[in-house]
Amino acid sequence: MYQYNAFDQRFVEDRVEQFRDQTRRYLAGELADEQFQQLRLRNGLYIQRLAPMLRIAVPYGLLTAAQLRALAEITRKYDKGYGHLSTRQNVQINWPKLEVVPDILADLAKVQMHCIQTSGSCIRNITTDQFAGVAADEVVDARPYCEIMRQWSTYHPEFDWLPRKFKIAVNAATADRAATRVHDIGIEVRLGDDGKSRFDFYVGGGLGRTPVIGSLIREGLPEQHLLTYLEAILRVYNRYGRRDNKYKARIKILVRAMTPEKFRQRVDAEWQHLRDGSSTLPAEEIDRIRACFQPPPYADLADETARLAQQRLADAVFDIWMRNNVAAHKRPGYAIVTLSTKATGVPPGDVTDEQMEAVADWSERFGFGDIRISHEQNFVLPDVPQRDLKTLFELACTQLLGQANIGLLTDMICCPGGDFCSLANAKSIPVAEAIQRRFDDYDYLHDLGPLDINISGCMNACGHHHVGHIGILGVDKRGEEFYQISIGGNQAADASLGKILGPSFERAEVPDVIENILAVYLDRRFEGEAFLHTVRRIGVDPFKEQVYASAG
Amino acid sequence: MPVLVRDGQIVADPWMRVEDGEATRGRIAPLAAWRRAPEGGGVWVEGAAEVDEVGEEVRIAPVVAVRFPAFADGRGLSFGALLRSRYGYRGELRAFGEIVPDLTEYMLRCGFDAFELPDRRQAEVAIVCMTRMTDHYQASVREPLPFFRRRAAGA
Repeated sequence: MYQYNAFDQRFVEDRVEQFRDQTRRYLAGELADEQFQQLRLRNGLYIQRLAPMLRIAVPYGLLTAAQLRALAEITRKYDKGYGHLSTRQNVQINWPKLEVVPDILADLAKVQMHCIQTSGSCIRNITTDQFAGVAADEVVDARPYCEIMRQWSTYHPEFDWLPRKFKIAVNAATADRAATRVHDIGIEVRLGDDGKSRFDFYVGGGLGRTPVIGSLIREGLPEQHLLTYLEAILRVYNRYGRRDNKYKARIKILVRAMTPEKFRQRVDAEWQHLRDGSSTLPAEEIDRIRACFQPPPYADLADETARLAQQRLADAVFDIWMRNNVAAHKRPGYAIVTLSTKATGVPPGDVTDEQMEAVADWSERFGFGDIRISHEQNFVLPDVPQRDLKTLFELACTQLLGQANIGLLTDMICCPGGDFCSLANAKSIPVAEAIQRRFDDYDYLHDLGPLDINISGCMNACGHHHVGHIGILGVDKRGEEFYQISIGGNQAADASLGKILGPSFERAEVPDVIENILAVYLDRRFEGEAFLHTVRRIGVDPFKEQVYASAG
Repeated sequence: MPVLVRDGQIVADPWMRVEDGEATRGRIAPLAAWRRAPEGGGVWVEGAAEVDEVGEEVRIAPVVAVRFPAFADGRGLSFGALLRSRYGYRGELRAFGEIVPDLTEYMLRCGFDAFELPDRRQAEVAIVCMTRMTDHYQASVREPLPFFRRRAAGA
């Protein structure tokens, strides 16, 4: 975990005082609405349908127990005792008062946290694999690079007033758990022949109104060039990205208009001026940051698979939880646990102060005080001894965090939707709940296998509906809330965008539609074939026919 | 009347910006007019201008004034940074248009040294805004070394 030094600490404290002054001037009528709007957005503050919403940065999804306890305290002190884990691995609170936001920022600064650039047309929180540093399939630890980019992107003099928001994700494992292909920049880290990191840059991916899979524009960039190459991309985007229409302002539109090849040439031409300049990373600097992410003092533990097998035999739900929520760890005797926030009746990603404190306690009792937030809106405990898994599972169940549904249908990604967000066309949380209520049988869910349902309340696609195996999008039809369903999307390295089935449905119809889609899958799948692969093999037509025949 | 802040102070503006007419001494004129008689006059360019097309020629101007058509339009930042770093421009680099005090610090870091604020009060706020942050992570026109290099050098 990166620890702030005096420089970092003073930086966030300066920012708190800066925002305090901006808020004071706004309330005194000295800053116009539209000016204050842009300034507050760069501190994570939205004015929403019901109240302000404050988005707290959790750089690449990493938290300490002390930070999570501080977040719990903040939700109690300034809010309604709960927070929301977002798809950018951040934490949002929905009810702070504008006047007290500077105080919240000051409280956050005390635990090395902030809200810088969690919204606005700037470089947003950089995300990565929630298992970075511990995953068995990891190639390199992505976190030091994320931290280097966090520092570089924070209050950048030239790139804080971009045409539109800018999202960077990094993956450095065999499986892509960071959805890099649907980011403005997706960086894939691999090892070169010399054992050093090489970066592949995918640019212009994204969701929203115009979903696109990113184009590979640079392969095998050596690590010292990370920042200069990023600067070249950002400079081309800042200068040439469209500013006349916010729906055409993301970098994906520019890349497509120029063609990826021309875009690459332009970036390369710019990079020729920047490469080997002062932003080139010296090996000592990479080492300095890397030293912050050294493995914790692991014990030499024996592999406990045999004992776990007995425990699993004795408890069927624990067995399912082990299968779905527990991932392989680099170190023998340890495991990675995902604590699901997706309990039926709870908006996906919502967690109470009490749950946050419980997770903080468990992270210390069953680990080294490290917690992750996944972009699927769940908590991760990265270093749990296998011998403690059963105890942790039982404790998690007492806090409604023991759902054994990771990767299954009920582990949905869902934006806050029309209940909270002023952009939304339709509500999303009640749709998620209706689906969870319909499909609450673990055996059925398990039989369905890996299935991502992603729900967005509008075209902005905060719920990543395009890359859900089943995607649900709220649309407005003459003032009524309707839902468009797509299938075949995928967020992994073989990313694909879902295809729309046809005309949209009323909210009450959605669980039936999902059930019909699944009926086709169960009927047509080959032995062991996942939903996504069946869709890819047979196409959308059989699903379309079934869904509209039943609806008709 | 806009109020000019230069080198961190409110100063009387020795220049007059004109919409058309010659760019004679004491006047800042749009690029096309300035081109007709470039000696001694200031030049006004749009933040969206292609710096590679004008960088060489405007180097000789004592003032290059970059217009920000909207305060959140960051193209002028890239223009200024490139004019300084790539074309070695040494004269006054002025920001005008829709200038919000809080954004002058970004401009300053991208090489601007003069700012036209709407009134005296906002000019005073801008001066405070420009010094509120103690330091920054990245390299910039104003601070050519990123903090990690200065730290390594024992700063």
